[in-house]
Amino acid sequence: MPQVKIIAKNFMDMVASLPAIKLDKLYNNVFICEAILRSLPPLAKKYVLQMLYIDVPVPATMMEEWVLADGTSKHRVAIDRLIQLRIFSEISDRKRGTSYSLNPTFQNNLQKHIISGGVLPREPMNSDNAIKLPSLQELETYALKQWECFLLQLINSGQGEKLTGISSSMMKIFQRGLLSQRDKDGPRLTESGFQFLLMDTNAQLWYIIREYILNAEERDVDPADLISFLLELSFHVTGQAYNLNTLTEVQNNTLKDLADLGLVKLQQGRKDSWFIPTKLATNLSVSLADSSARKEGFVVMETNFRMYAYSTSKLQCEILRLFARIEYQLPNLIACAITKESLYNAFDNGITSDQIITFLQQNSHPRCADRVPSIPENVTDQIRLWETDLQRIEMTQAHFYDEFPSKDVFEAACDFAREWRGLLWEDSKRMRLVVKSEVHNQMREFLHTQSR
Amino acid sequence: MGNGERGRPNKKMKYGGKDDQKMKNIQNAEDYYDDADEDSRDGEGEEKKRDFTKLELKPDHGNRPLWACADGRIFLETFSPLYKQAYDFLIAIAEPVCRPESMHEYNLTPHSLYAAVSVGLETETIISVLNKLSKTKLPKEMIEFIHASTANYGKVKLVLKKNRYFIESPFPEVLKRLLSDDVINRARFSSEPYYGGDGFSVGRTCGELEAGPGELLNEAEFAAAAEEKETHSFEIDPAQVENVKQRCLPNALNYPMLEEYDFRNDNVNPDLDMELKPHAQPRPYQEKSLSKMFGNGRARSGIIVLPCGAGKSLVGVSAAARIKKSCLCLATNAVSVDQWAFQFKLWSTIRDDQICRFTSDSKERFRGNAGVVVTTYNMVAFGGKRSEESEKIIEEMRNREWGLLLMDEVHVVPAHMFRKVISITKSHCKLGLTATLVREDERITDLNFLIGPKLYEANWLDLVKGGFIANVQCAEVWCPMTKEFFAEYLKKENSKKKQALYVMNPNKFRACEFLIRFHEQQRGDKIIVFADNLFALTEYAMKLRKPMIYGATSHIERTKILEAFKTSKDVNTVFLSKVGDNSIDIPEANVIIQISSHAGSRRQEAQRLGRILRAKGKLEDRMAGGKEEYNAFFYSLVSTDTQEMYYSTKRQQFLIDQGYSFKVITSLPPPDAGSSLSYHSQEEQLSLLGKVMNAGDDLVGLEQLEEDTDGMALQKARRSMGSMSVMSGSKGMVYMEYNSGRHKSGQQFKKPKDPTKRHNLFKKRYV
Repeated sequence: MPQVKIIAKNFMDMVASLPAIKLDKLYNNVFICEAILRSLPPLAKKYVLQMLYIDVPVPATMMEEWVLADGTSKHRVAIDRLIQLRIFSEISDRKRGTSYSLNPTFQNNLQKHIISGGVLPREPMNSDNAIKLPSLQELETYALKQWECFLLQLINSGQGEKLTGISSSMMKIFQRGLLSQRDKDGPRLTESGFQFLLMDTNAQLWYIIREYILNAEERDVDPADLISFLLELSFHVTGQAYNLNTLTEVQNNTLKDLADLGLVKLQQGRKDSWFIPTKLATNLSVSLADSSARKEGFVVMETNFRMYAYSTSKLQCEILRLFARIEYQLPNLIACAITKESLYNAFDNGITSDQIITFLQQNSHPRCADRVPSIPENVTDQIRLWETDLQRIEMTQAHFYDEFPSKDVFEAACDFAREWRGLLWEDSKRMRLVVKSEVHNQMREFLHTQSR
Repeated sequence: MGNGERGRPNKKMKYGGKDDQKMKNIQNAEDYYDDADEDSRDGEGEEKKRDFTKLELKPDHGNRPLWACADGRIFLETFSPLYKQAYDFLIAIAEPVCRPESMHEYNLTPHSLYAAVSVGLETETIISVLNKLSKTKLPKEMIEFIHASTANYGKVKLVLKKNRYFIESPFPEVLKRLLSDDVINRARFSSEPYYGGDGFSVGRTCGELEAGPGELLNEAEFAAAAEEKETHSFEIDPAQVENVKQRCLPNALNYPMLEEYDFRNDNVNPDLDMELKPHAQPRPYQEKSLSKMFGNGRARSGIIVLPCGAGKSLVGVSAAARIKKSCLCLATNAVSVDQWAFQFKLWSTIRDDQICRFTSDSKERFRGNAGVVVTTYNMVAFGGKRSEESEKIIEEMRNREWGLLLMDEVHVVPAHMFRKVISITKSHCKLGLTATLVREDERITDLNFLIGPKLYEANWLDLVKGGFIANVQCAEVWCPMTKEFFAEYLKKENSKKKQALYVMNPNKFRACEFLIRFHEQQRGDKIIVFADNLFALTEYAMKLRKPMIYGATSHIERTKILEAFKTSKDVNTVFLSKVGDNSIDIPEANVIIQISSHAGSRRQEAQRLGRILRAKGKLEDRMAGGKEEYNAFFYSLVSTDTQEMYYSTKRQQFLIDQGYSFKVITSLPPPDAGSSLSYHSQEEQLSLLGKVMNAGDDLVGLEQLEEDTDGMALQKARRSMGSMSVMSGSKGMVYMEYNSGRHKSGQQFKKPKDPTKRHNLFKKRYV
């Protein structure tokens, strides 16, 4: 994973930050209970299952005995997480010390779920002549195309025609933090924006979904409802049709936005309308725990700094343009070159050499991916060297003093500055010196006393 | 000419399907493309986007190895199963731009197509093979371009048969057109002048024997290519040959003639009894280059490009042994004359009295009526007064008909010298050899017409993979300037000393000393240290107590030092000035340390690397995964934050395009080296600085070579040529640049281009 500063590492952080009442309400839905369970760290998962059929609080001291000495830190993380999510409630007792019990709603639902399995609020529609389902392949192509369209619109804001049905106000919300609005130059990608583009699809998707949820209240939608609907959606079957009439109005509106993102495909028959979840949707809860299976790479990096990308995607072309010079665009190949200028441009925009290198490594064409290293060493070295080249100058706030009345005063001042570790430069011939700003006040005082 | 127009074929050109109609249009055919190199990869500042996404992919594109763009650029996947065939084909029709591991880039240029036609490829074959290999439909523009470029070339040949000159062509209508020219008509050797009717003699030549691109063709096309061809010809007066050739050049009738030598049927010139010795086994790529030269049973004139150390001399000797006529071999200096003479004796059965050297020191003559003469360009082209003895030898050269004119290192010899040499010596066939067909000037065009097209160019990486040349680890060592040196470097008044300052940078010295010690002691390697700066060369060599060779070193001393370097265990490092760049053969060396260089010259970098390319050790050790994957090392030491950094990037471009990569090393000498290396203390460093500052400006500049009279003219010519090229030449990242006048950057160095100096082939395009 590229170092991602902007993404909530875990979607569950957001769930955990919901108010207690809402959180408890969420656990009424069995599917959410399962999704949450899936997202837990392994040890926390084990504790939940272990305590699933225990109805009395379990003392903390007892739980501590379950782990070996070197697992203590993991144990702490697991317990903290469970408390954050209100799955565990902490009971403090003077006599018996701390003990933990499972959230009863959560416990009940999960018990039921394990025995009888869950029933989704809606069943897939029977396939008859009225419904022509797309093949899984077609569906995936559709989903990726939608997603790409969305991203292109996201970064090209302002220019180009409207590609998706996402309202411009909504788009503005997504762009918040990714694009900076400057009056003259038009919108420009910010540092986070560049990082966003270099992330893999799932990470990007979660970033957008998160923004969508955070913004829910502005649209008079309860975030908890939204979360619950999204998690529920991830338990639907990819490629099956579900009738729209099973949805509430809020869900119906949400679904339209999700269709624009490529999470579902909407279709209309003569009588009914239905939606078909795509892989993007059904992977939602899976990707909570870890990033999804890797896509096949497409970039061949040569020792002469030329880069060949097997891609037809406009978006990928735009991404490459962030740090390389595009030279030839062919039907299924983009030929570009990494140059000092193109990289300086990227660094200027806040992309780091590590991000570029990780991107190249992650997307390296299968033909080179097995090669060690997959990106020629001289190229990675050079990218890093160019970056460090830019960091050679260090700025220090400083003050400049001259016109000393005498050599003695000058030398005393130098000594004083040295004592305070603030002397940066001195020219004893012409009696001038430069001192760090931090010691300017002391310096001034000192000089005052000297002049008296 | 606006940007938009560049690199596009002229739209006015229209071609009918038939050949004769094409012929009528040839006059226009020059209006396409200014050199494709022009819009090559260096569009600094201006982003040039070439969007060819509209090209239609063929359904089975995955199986085909290349993409072809309308502007002449071709991309080749090296991992395709068809790579080998595609490579052989592309190298025949296009100029390589860069050839790293996975993807090659080529440019179709008028020259490259000229070369293609001259080795016997026909327009339709080029297009159909290219179309077969291409993942997309061929762009219309490219097809038009190929038609336009090939329409004129290769249609007419000048053949010397039984010492009678014939103009030969498979197209009678072309001959008719030529004869409508007064000069040519008068030169025609026949009882009656030409009155219409055609009266050409009809003969047959066998088709290409060489299978090269043929492998890609299907039966029908292949059969057509291999089939005997009917040719029409007429004889011309030998005295008029030069005039006829002139008339055929692009500035007149525009049918440049290919020269072929039917040496098997030449029974006027005496045969030379020489064969290759049995141990001389040409390698596959050497065979291939020879097959391009002798493809149809005759000898073609042209240039063969092989990396240094890949065995150019064996190719030269083999060619001479195949033609078996008198051979004149030209080298750049006296040392390499000796080496060529040695190579002839090594590889062939030639008798000692049949080979002779002609230099200012040794004026031998061969006995008998046929033989090999090895000499330098200067000895032949020398314009001043010669000794009586030399005059006699030159006179003999002039009067003789040479079967083969073998020219070494054609990339360094200025064009006017070629002209002179070629006008003095009459030869049936000219073969140029070189390692790097890069010239920082624009003389590549001249080579094309003076010697002939490029017949073959090997791929460096393939030769490395095959174990034929050494696998070199290249490194750029970054040496920070010491504070005191950098302070002086930045001062305006020291502008003339800049070079001396960054070369004498104590950190660089220490890095150099460290590397020498490491390779001598830890690995037992043989090391060459290159320095262009004479002051630095002397300082370094003296301080480290190593022998050095520079311009003023006498021939005898040179030989002595090189001999000691070869044989003695105590002499493992030798310091060379730029006299060592070319031709001096030092097969033992496997490490190069370059402490100073000639600004941004890509050629120099490649030539120097070439000094250690000769493969050493056992083949299996050298192959990937073997004991010693890298057994040769090339270090370029640069002082950071100085001009050197900039030049260094430029210099490496050619090698990088051949697939080499430079690893940057920033930690030399190791910080703990301390006083085990020289110039550790500040006093020592300051005294060195004092020395540099006190040396006269003339001393610290570039070496002014004072060679014997032989070398003088060449050096002089080289220098004057350099002045323009050195500064700007490295400019492009282009492979060959014969035209880069419109580049924006680097203008301050560049002389405005005088269109009248442009070669005729190109002149028309600027009208």
